[in-house]
Amino acid sequence: MKSNLPDRSLIREYLLGRLDNEKELEEQLSHDICANDELSEMVESIEEEIIEDFLDGTMDSADKDAVSTYFLRPPQRQEKLRFARLLNNHLAEQHQLVQTISDMRPSAYTNAVRDRSEYSAPIPWWTHFKTYGQLTAFVVLGIGSLLYISALQKKGAGLESQLAQERVHSANLVKEAPILQSSFIPLTLVADRSRGDDSQIPHIEIRPSTRRIMVDIALQGHSPGPFNVNLETKAGNGPMWSARLLPLFSSSGDTRLVFDLPAQGLESDVYSFVVSSLLPGSGSGKHYDFRVELAH
Amino acid sequence: MAPQHGEKRTLTPEAFGKFLRWLSEDDELAVREYQRIRTKLIRFFIHKGCTDADDLFDRTVDIVVAKVESCEEYQNPLAYCYGVARNVWHEDTRERKSVPLEVDVAFPEHPDPKPHELELQCLDRCLAQLSPGDRDVVTRYHGQHGHDKIPVRRGLADGAGGINALRIRVCRIRKELRICVVDCTKRLLN
Repeated sequence: MKSNLPDRSLIREYLLGRLDNEKELEEQLSHDICANDELSEMVESIEEEIIEDFLDGTMDSADKDAVSTYFLRPPQRQEKLRFARLLNNHLAEQHQLVQTISDMRPSAYTNAVRDRSEYSAPIPWWTHFKTYGQLTAFVVLGIGSLLYISALQKKGAGLESQLAQERVHSANLVKEAPILQSSFIPLTLVADRSRGDDSQIPHIEIRPSTRRIMVDIALQGHSPGPFNVNLETKAGNGPMWSARLLPLFSSSGDTRLVFDLPAQGLESDVYSFVVSSLLPGSGSGKHYDFRVELAH
Repeated sequence: MAPQHGEKRTLTPEAFGKFLRWLSEDDELAVREYQRIRTKLIRFFIHKGCTDADDLFDRTVDIVVAKVESCEEYQNPLAYCYGVARNVWHEDTRERKSVPLEVDVAFPEHPDPKPHELELQCLDRCLAQLSPGDRDVVTRYHGQHGHDKIPVRRGLADGAGGINALRIRVCRIRKELRICVVDCTKRLLN
């Protein structure tokens, strides 16, 4: 059954405040939205659509202006926008990571200096590493078994020793999966020392298998960089590691530094990344503290 | 007379009780009807771009409560409240015309950066709590940037019965997620 709901574009105009001067139409639509639950749900979905278009940057300037000056006035809508941005970034990042791993380019993150690109919020990437690590082990195990069967058919002699070798090989592959899983650890830093709480600084646990630390620093402000990043102890000793990095920008204007560094050489202690802009007049660097614990 | 914008409310429990009685003789139904009216009128104020929808709703109720005596025979409380709400909105529009927005509403920041990390943790939890079908839809719907999203959303729309049906479904899922994340973040912060 075709419902009698108004056109979506009309509702969109209504939500952007463009019908406020057309008294009769505005009054009728407002009344209908209040009285009709189905229409009310449709209006809500169009509201979300406006937020999506705004985030995607696909709006023309008139619409964008209407969103900024009218649509986003209520704090409830500002909160919806913020959540939509969070969700977009989070899920897009997960998707991007899965693609990166499936492209077998695990070093994509190691390019510390990059041009502008999309970024997203921190993601639980290690869960995917586990899956892929186990899948890889499984595939290699399968290939090993096929080789073994082939050899079995060709050679009767030496069967026992080959079998033993393949078993050792398979066992090693299975052991490799958890190593792959834990060889990288993530570290997300969102508050610098001036904004953070000393008692609750982020901490990471470095295991013997940990090779590198994936760092994601959310920067305040919108400086284009480049940035000097130095790793020091909290007492100011160092730098123990340093790099000159360009930040990543999201379409919404958030700025991040994403890079990795070797875990070797770090002890159980409090460390700090000192991030300073190379632009003149940017002031002193900001300290992003974190605690390292060595697990044995 | 109902209090004006910014004035302290004078609504007494007795007057509010009378208002609820006006909505229904049955306590449970009265509360349910009150919540329904509240949701709808707050949404009305938000649709009209009002910055303080809750406050305007309170003003509406205050006016209605003051008039309950004379509108006892009114058969449709929602329609009556809606009529009052429209007047409140007109009044508010006249008051706020010259007040510019002081903040960059397009980039609302989380008031405190710490809850942001908690929010991401909660988002993962809440995504995991969705039904597999809903999780798949929302993950694929939001999983791409730029032009990549067009073919994915087209495919999802085919499965959902059209693009509008898909949008309504995603809107519902996002709402569920938003509520879940807010609850979860509050729990972790306490």
